[in-house]
Amino acid sequence: MNHFGAPPILIDGLTVAYGDHRVLDELSLHVPAGSITALLGGNGAGKSTTLATLLGFVRAQAGTVLVSDVDPGADPDGARRKIAYLPENVALYEHLTAVENADYLLALSDERKERGVITDALAAAGLQQRAWDQRLGGFSKGMRQKVAVAVALLREVPVLLLDEPTSGLDPRATADFNALVSAVRDRGTAVLMVTHDLLSAADVADRIGFLEAGRIVEEVEAVGAERFDVRALHARFAVGTERHAA
Amino acid sequence: MRKTQLIARDELRLMVRNRVAVIAFALLVLLTLVAVLSSWSHQRANAELRARHQHEAEHAFDAQPDRHPHRVVHYGHFIFRPLGPLAAFDPGVDAFTGSSMFLEGHRQNTANFGDVRQSSMLIRFGQLTPAFVLQVVAPLLLIFLGYGVLSRETERGTMRLLMLQGVSRGQMVNGKLMALGAVAALAGLPAMIGFIAIAGQPGALALPMATIALGYAAYLALWVVVIVLVSAAVRRSRDALLALVALWAIGVVLLPRVAPDVASAAVPLQNRLQTDVAIARDLRRMGDSHNPDDPHFAAFKASVLKRYGVDWVEDLPVNYKGLLALEGERLTSELFDQYARQSYAAQNSQNALVQSVGVLSPTIALRSLSMAAAGTDFAGHQRFLEQAEAYRYVLVQRLNRMQAEAVNYSDDTATDPGADRRKRVSASNWDKMPDFTYQAPSGGALAAGALPGLVVIMGWLAAAILLLARTSRRLGEGR
Amino acid sequence: MTLWTHELRLLIRARLTVVALALLAILAVASVAAGMAEVARQRAAIAAIPAAQAEDISAVADYVSRTKDAGSAAYYSFHPTWDSPSPLAFAALGMRDVSPYILRVRALGLEAQIYDGDTFNPELALPGRFDFAFVLVFLAPLFVIALFHDLVSGEREAGRLRSLTALPRGGAGLMRRRTLLRWALLWAALALPFAIGAAWSGVGASIILLILPLIAAYLLFWIGFAALIGRLRWSSVANAATLAACWLVLVLIGPTLANVAINRAVPISQGAEIALAQREQVNHAWDIPREETMRRFYANHPRWADSAPLGPEFHYKWYFAFHQNGDERVADEVRAYREGLKRREAAARSLSWVLPSVGVQTLLTRLADTDLTAQLAYQDRIRGFHERLREFYYGYLFSDRSFTREDFARAPTFKGSRVYRHHSAFLEAR
Repeated sequence: MNHFGAPPILIDGLTVAYGDHRVLDELSLHVPAGSITALLGGNGAGKSTTLATLLGFVRAQAGTVLVSDVDPGADPDGARRKIAYLPENVALYEHLTAVENADYLLALSDERKERGVITDALAAAGLQQRAWDQRLGGFSKGMRQKVAVAVALLREVPVLLLDEPTSGLDPRATADFNALVSAVRDRGTAVLMVTHDLLSAADVADRIGFLEAGRIVEEVEAVGAERFDVRALHARFAVGTERHAA
Repeated sequence: MRKTQLIARDELRLMVRNRVAVIAFALLVLLTLVAVLSSWSHQRANAELRARHQHEAEHAFDAQPDRHPHRVVHYGHFIFRPLGPLAAFDPGVDAFTGSSMFLEGHRQNTANFGDVRQSSMLIRFGQLTPAFVLQVVAPLLLIFLGYGVLSRETERGTMRLLMLQGVSRGQMVNGKLMALGAVAALAGLPAMIGFIAIAGQPGALALPMATIALGYAAYLALWVVVIVLVSAAVRRSRDALLALVALWAIGVVLLPRVAPDVASAAVPLQNRLQTDVAIARDLRRMGDSHNPDDPHFAAFKASVLKRYGVDWVEDLPVNYKGLLALEGERLTSELFDQYARQSYAAQNSQNALVQSVGVLSPTIALRSLSMAAAGTDFAGHQRFLEQAEAYRYVLVQRLNRMQAEAVNYSDDTATDPGADRRKRVSASNWDKMPDFTYQAPSGGALAAGALPGLVVIMGWLAAAILLLARTSRRLGEGR
Repeated sequence: MTLWTHELRLLIRARLTVVALALLAILAVASVAAGMAEVARQRAAIAAIPAAQAEDISAVADYVSRTKDAGSAAYYSFHPTWDSPSPLAFAALGMRDVSPYILRVRALGLEAQIYDGDTFNPELALPGRFDFAFVLVFLAPLFVIALFHDLVSGEREAGRLRSLTALPRGGAGLMRRRTLLRWALLWAALALPFAIGAAWSGVGASIILLILPLIAAYLLFWIGFAALIGRLRWSSVANAATLAACWLVLVLIGPTLANVAINRAVPISQGAEIALAQREQVNHAWDIPREETMRRFYANHPRWADSAPLGPEFHYKWYFAFHQNGDERVADEVRAYREGLKRREAAARSLSWVLPSVGVQTLLTRLADTDLTAQLAYQDRIRGFHERLREFYYGYLFSDRSFTREDFARAPTFKGSRVYRHHSAFLEAR
């Protein structure tokens, strides 16, 4: 993993518009390897479009997007090979077991893992052993997410994209999840999470960007052990969302 | 009651707003109209063609010159099966059985020139008739319009919402039944209008028509109930649709095809070659009129001579050759009847087998009801064949009697140049021969034939209603 | 595990898919078995001809040998003809249930005999046979619809589509793999029972190799149709309803409408008219001088013209001559009737380009020799045989040779076996 070259997530002057409406307006964002960036923003700020552009679902009108030096607009499959993506609502195959789901999704990512490796990852993601070989039919949202996280962990890719990962999780599950994401970061992965869960972002992110109307209006970096001044963040976030609403 | 109507109205409004549903419904109406018109004109054209042919055949028969009666026996007569007005609604097996038949002495011919052998392979895909539209197409339309009536409410959670508003399960189900029933009534309407137009024709009988109307109404009602039933029992709209289409495919398409195969394998039918050979064999056993030493005909001759108190056939006051022809025809016809009865019995038990499968597929039951009431089922064809055979026998025996009474025995056996002239009887005799008139069955008889099918459909309807009542008690329960 | 085995596992875990595939396989096996049973019944009926025929002819011989009259022999002898089912007939029984495959003819006027049918139950024939062609043409599309209507929309509705597509091997390639796999399984469910039945029945390898891709192509048509509807991004339910409606139109309504249109565009009423006219022609001979009949006959058949003149008494050569005259006088009507039938079939065949259901059915019945063309070909062979029968009996009649018991064995016999050259037969028909 190249800590010194271009950052795994590199967005410069990205503009995406649907008709006249600019969803992303010359957005610039760099996420270096081994770091977590959280994008905070209200509804319609452009969070999902940012992820969709990185995944190659949306084409940029202007600007540069590179995922580990691959342009997802030109080579979506190449970019996706570098990305692990966790959607907001994890939907898996109900009639496959946890292990089978992981096995299948890894296969679709061109990766082969032994069962032992998969179960280790499921365990690391916090899924209890008795659930490994159960079909997903009766799983809770948290359990499903753990399977998806295990897949993301197993994919040794430079980029992890998280879409509202903690929505719907209880505080305990959120803390567990954040610990996992930190562990991924420590392996050298560039993590980008979009969220409106300010507390979770403050807990885990190295940098927080405030996204408003398609551009980052402010960036805050974690400093020292205190990391972020949550109060200040909260005030800032409230202003941003109100401004957007107005 | 008010709430029931509200729910029905709401459902209908939803259907009217669904563009696809409206288009599908319009297409069904159009298809029915095309079917009614084409089927009607086809029936009219066929009926007229057959009447014209019948007329030509009768004219040709009556216009024969002076002929030896036995010549006329072989000249024979052509008869055509008339096509009843209800055949415009359900032509049944008409296309599959020949419509023209050649009647002659000591031979039983087949009915020939059926549509099926004069059409391309397309005819085997089914025939576009009002009956086909109502039996096959209309249920599928009802499925498309109705699979979601309850499953949609369950899926979206609006079911509980409505129940919280104080709507009872019964009102809910009745409202949906009412809405879908209205659609079914509308879908059946064009066919019924065509039906009434047909009723204006002479020869249309009230009782079978009422039976048909009742049968189709019950059939569509059955589908309405089944659709609401499946929609109530299933949690997801997609499952309801797939289950209903599967039911339709099995009941309407698959079983009606499988049942005949089972029947024809279970009850073998003797083919014509074997029947002809068997009849010839039996005939040889009964008596061979060509063989002077044959015991049967020797006894016959003796009894004739005795009856007239003479010693030689030449002394008989009647033509012995005519008597011989009468006796020969009597013998062969007996055999024809016997073998025909066997064949009819086999075919009827095949059809009974198919109808017993109708217990599984109401479509089979409806089809047999519809054909029976329209007089276009196998029984109708059999009726024609039996009347044709009876007419053939009467005609041939009258001619044979004419030979016995009007042709001199010595002339009949003479071979001198003038003999041919002397053997002939006057042409004025031919138009005195009776014409074939098909005795149409009474309305009661037709309706009675349709009764078993009606019972099956009504039984299905009752069972479906009971099942719906049970299922709807659990409506809105579960997660 | 490869991507393919993963997909296979996913597929067989879905109950609907497994049930559907199993059901299709069962239906295919049942239809092949039913078709083979029917063909076996027809073969048995044909195999039973010689015994029955021997009995019948020996009775005629008993009678005729008293007079040794060739005319009586010709008049009373029925000669069997038959149309053996082709090896492929089991797969598409076509018209074989309604048109005769055994017909006995005498040397008398053929036009009064050739349109005769065999005994069959019309109510059983009405809905059509349950054969492999039915399963393929009518039912297989419904299974395609069941397996393909939610190929993409199902993933979308389950909320998986986005994250699947985000995987490097989860985009269009995934859908291609799933399509191919379902296609292959559907194909196998149909093709295996067919191929086994066909090999068992002795169908030539080239025919089997022609039909196996035909099955695949017909399935592909419906899969493509489902994919097209899928592109509209409707819900799974809407997809299923739309596809089922299309099925109804393409498989049921289209052909029935076309049948009405074709039968209207090509009216055929000559059938009964031929029969009426031929009878008139034949019987008219009794009312005109017999020499007139003979003159006409000899004009058309000079090779018998040297025969002795008629005496005052009845002679069968006159009888057979006016029968043949009767046939010849309606020859134009017969030709027109036949042309009409062929035009109807050609019209239906050209419809194949619009309605694949009709195309597959037409192709299968053509390859199986069970269509109207095959029926007409059988009539042609009957005509050829009848010609030989006449020649044979005329040889005795017109030279007043006596007809002995041994002569019965010299009568021509129908050549039942055909050489099956399906490719060329089909291409010629096209």
